[in-house]
Amino acid sequence: MSQLELRDIRKTYPGAHDETLKGINIDVASGEFLTLVGPSGCGKSTLMSSIAGLEAITGGSMVVNGVDISAMEPRDRDIAMVFQSYALYPTKSVRENIAFGLKIRGMPKDDIEREVERVADLLQISPLLDKKPARLSGGQQQRVAMGRALARRPKIYLFDEPLSNLDAKLRVEMRTEIKKLHQRLKTTVVYVTHDQIEAMTLADRIAVLKDGELQQLGTPKEVYDTPENLFVAGFIGSPSMSFIELEIERSEAGLSVTVEGSDGRKLSLPVPDYLANWVGKRVILGIRPEHISQPDNIKSEHSLVASGSLTVEVTEPTGPDIIAVIRLNGIDVHCRLDAEHPVNWGEDAELMFDMNKVVFFDPATEKRIRPN
Amino acid sequence: MTDVVRRGVRPSRIAIYGVLLLACLVYLIPLIIMLITSFKTPMDIRSSNLLALPTDWTTIGWTKAWAEACTGVQCEGVKGFFWNSFKMAVPAVLISTLLGAFNGYVLSKWKFRGADLMFGMLLFGCFVPFQVVLLPMAQTLGMLGMANTTPGLVLVHVTYGVAFTTLFFRNYYVAIPDALIKAARLDGAGFFTIFFRILLPMSTPIIMVSLIWQFTQIWNDFLFGVVFSSGESQPITVALNNLVNTSTGVKEYNVDMAAAMIAALPTLVVYIVAGKYFIRGLTAGSEKG
Ligand SMILES: Nc1ncnc2c1ncn2[C@@H]1O[C@H](COP(=O)(O)OP(=O)(O)OP(=O)(O)O)[C@@H](O)[C@H]1O
Ligand SMILES: [Mg+2]
Repeated sequence: MSQLELRDIRKTYPGAHDETLKGINIDVASGEFLTLVGPSGCGKSTLMSSIAGLEAITGGSMVVNGVDISAMEPRDRDIAMVFQSYALYPTKSVRENIAFGLKIRGMPKDDIEREVERVADLLQISPLLDKKPARLSGGQQQRVAMGRALARRPKIYLFDEPLSNLDAKLRVEMRTEIKKLHQRLKTTVVYVTHDQIEAMTLADRIAVLKDGELQQLGTPKEVYDTPENLFVAGFIGSPSMSFIELEIERSEAGLSVTVEGSDGRKLSLPVPDYLANWVGKRVILGIRPEHISQPDNIKSEHSLVASGSLTVEVTEPTGPDIIAVIRLNGIDVHCRLDAEHPVNWGEDAELMFDMNKVVFFDPATEKRIRPN
Repeated sequence: MTDVVRRGVRPSRIAIYGVLLLACLVYLIPLIIMLITSFKTPMDIRSSNLLALPTDWTTIGWTKAWAEACTGVQCEGVKGFFWNSFKMAVPAVLISTLLGAFNGYVLSKWKFRGADLMFGMLLFGCFVPFQVVLLPMAQTLGMLGMANTTPGLVLVHVTYGVAFTTLFFRNYYVAIPDALIKAARLDGAGFFTIFFRILLPMSTPIIMVSLIWQFTQIWNDFLFGVVFSSGESQPITVALNNLVNTSTGVKEYNVDMAAAMIAALPTLVVYIVAGKYFIRGLTAGSEKG
């Protein structure tokens, strides 16, 4: 059952030349956690404001539980939003901040009291209830902002980069907390983030936006493993996917591509059969860091796995693994190597290419070439 | 390091304090002379030095200025006019501040097409000299049947002051994040609820600025007062002028000075009392809530 349906949402700001949202279609299921990612200025906040009713849309419609809310005032939509800046009322105590929306809606005093207690317990902010926001740390303010959203028990929660003002450690903590909260309350959430990991870990599904257009909508695994186009492939994942334009060749062993190392050494890599139509044509190979590793005996038995010796240009130890940079066809390519077997930059390393999970794109359309 | 700090009394310091002290004196001497003179007898004033303390202190100047001195034909002191000024200044200050706050709210948080142009034109109002508006204002007041009345004077001051108060509040509200307004709208608050329950409580510092500014301007105004009021409804600045210019026999400087002090007292008090709240308002965020 889908709870929030976005139908061809369009938005042009008054006086603006270009359309900011160019026909967005998304269905969000009841209880689903949808994250919205995309580069700065792609319209994420605009979409959130449109759903909340803070900005009027210029086309399309929004339906919540079967009711068209496109023309409703924000207060009638039963949607709560958590802002990046928290937007707590500075002159009100934490208690008043949480209670404000309930008071406006005319909830009886006792019920408000009970609701504030419930939310405060849930977010562990009971000791802070009588403080003013300015007296709280960033993380505490964040909780209060969430508390204010939770108190109204709305149908849908919108989060616009709620964690981006926190330091790295706190961000990870709050991320886990949000995930737990969602699993417990089973609420419908639309969540905007810049953070790859946040998007991947929290989401049931990810929507990737670019220039006001939806690029792909899918589970984190789908978006990561089978990106629809070059943009999504490059945007999701860190370090990002490397792209090499090359030609599909046919040999006795099957289809293959040839890459060239920095010192001119050539390496032939096998590619899947679904590329048979592309023999002699150019494609863009998208390869993720984890597709290139040190040889291991089990994997190297598989088909579509090849090994070769290449010069390591740069090494970046991250702790659990080492990100190494090699040059293939003049392009920097990241590899994820095991930290247990150190490699040194400037030296040769024996590397294994697992071509089972790499993706290919049509250079003309920039769309992924689908196996079929 | 600590030595440098402890040594403290460096020549530059002495120079700074010296200059400041001198400046204080320059500004304070007229006030001191006024105060001293207002407590002297006319005899004393003629025989003693300007800066000398009264030989015998008397409040006769003050009581006379308050209730007996002649301001033109009638001789009832300035007290009536003192209250006139209050009746004019208090509503004018409150109305113009509230209107300014409201304008500022609309111009910064509910931007409509042409809001910036409108603000620009309002700003222009700050630079229009008093003299320019005298005639059109007189006509308007006449048409409204408010000529020579205190409400008429209030209207004049509100009209003139709104340009300034709008400027104050608009610039203050522009710095307040829009997300706050959005959050309130999602919480169900409407146009007025947001203004009165969210924005206005955050505005203490700028309200103080506006109150002080407007009160000083309106209380001290002479030109509008002399043009748009007559007789009974004149504000104290006009009465003071009449008192000093009424020449019946010997010039009573003690009465003049006392009247001038009475005329200046409210703005002084506003500065002393509200100035403190002003500072307090500015630092409110850092205090324990
Ligand atoms: N009030 C507005 N009036 C006119 N244009 C706007 C307004 N708000 C946003 N825009 C424009 O719309 C586009 C999308 O902005 P939006 O804030 O939705 O981006 P975003 O994806 O949230 O970016 P970020 O990741 O930086 O928060 C931008 O080009 C921006 O300049
Ligand atoms: Mg944004």
